[in-house]
Amino acid sequence: MALFMDLNVSFSEDKTVLKNIIETAAHLGYSTVAINYTLEFHHKKQEIPKPRPVLDLFEKLPVVQGKSKSITVLNRLTVVATDPSHFRPTAEYKAFDLVAVIPKTEKLFQAACMNFDVNIICVAMSEKLGFFIKRAPVNVAIERGVFFEISYTPAIRDSTLRRYTISNALSLTEICKGKNVIVSSGAEKAIELRGPYDIANLGIVFGLSTEDAKDAVSTNCRSVCLHGKTRSTAFGIIHTMKKSQPANKTEEEDEEEEEEGGPPRKIIKLEK
Amino acid sequence: MRRADATEEPAAFERRVYRNAAAHHYMKIGLVLESGERNIGAVQFKQLIVSAVRDLYGEVGGAFNFDVLCYDESALTAVLRVYNSGLVKLWSALTLLGSYKNKLCAVRVMQVSPFLLALSGNSRELDLD
Repeated sequence: MALFMDLNVSFSEDKTVLKNIIETAAHLGYSTVAINYTLEFHHKKQEIPKPRPVLDLFEKLPVVQGKSKSITVLNRLTVVATDPSHFRPTAEYKAFDLVAVIPKTEKLFQAACMNFDVNIICVAMSEKLGFFIKRAPVNVAIERGVFFEISYTPAIRDSTLRRYTISNALSLTEICKGKNVIVSSGAEKAIELRGPYDIANLGIVFGLSTEDAKDAVSTNCRSVCLHGKTRSTAFGIIHTMKKSQPANKTEEEDEEEEEEGGPPRKIIKLEK
Repeated sequence: MRRADATEEPAAFERRVYRNAAAHHYMKIGLVLESGERNIGAVQFKQLIVSAVRDLYGEVGGAFNFDVLCYDESALTAVLRVYNSGLVKLWSALTLLGSYKNKLCAVRVMQVSPFLLALSGNSRELDLD
């Protein structure tokens, strides 16, 4: 059975709030949550946030309901892009497990689909979509394994936002035919979270089929996580890392591992 | 299943098979309020759900019947019965219900089943020793 994931839980400075959210997510049956750090450009030099270690929050991570494993917590960076210069894949991005982008213009949406090195493209749900989603860039994004995200929390907060959410979600699912869509919360409080089966049902309202709606909270999210892991590798084939040197050697060398023969294969370890 | 009388005979079972899909679905739900308030009557509870359905689907889309079969005021849990055709609508309306009297709230759907008997126990709440 596929595990459920919620790949968008807002980061909060308040530790008790964040702790509460993660505990509620575990209780509702989510096996993985991703804490979201948003990067918005107000001035030229915006500092990229650093992910906080989860172990600051918990000594022991809460156990997922119905499973005997504890919950996995990932870090995710969301870049709000209003200008092409806003998305610059730097070394800071590599500290995050997932990278998402919110394109604000049609041009940026196209660029995000075609060549941004991201895992998730968020379609802004709390405002009117200023552009039409076109099929050609979406198809390229699907080919590249980039996923589109619908977040449902705005729909819970307010009836106007609910209208925008549903209409934006419907226009997205119509274009991508239910493929490569994930539904996540974007919750800032524990009470805004909903159970995975509720969301699978809500996906039907967003224009997904029953199976696609369930995939949107389970298998598609898993694909996103795996895609996130390939970001640190070259084409998902080669992974280079610094090897800690013995004390008597001063020179540092990059150790390169390469898998030979056979078709190109991901050498990152697939979990579960 | 029917248990045989307490005689020495081996237990007798009766097998029942549903030929057709059940007409109704039953949902066991719980209401969680952020304020921790507990004084919501059964009428108010149903009114809350009806208005949630109407908020999301309007007068026409929200015109389907559902029943509150039982309601526990102290725990704020209830069992609802709804025709299959209205299940998705009712469930999504419950999911998107976010506030009660301008206070945040959430509906936790605990179990959904076409058989009322299935709601009598929940394997996820079992304490296994």
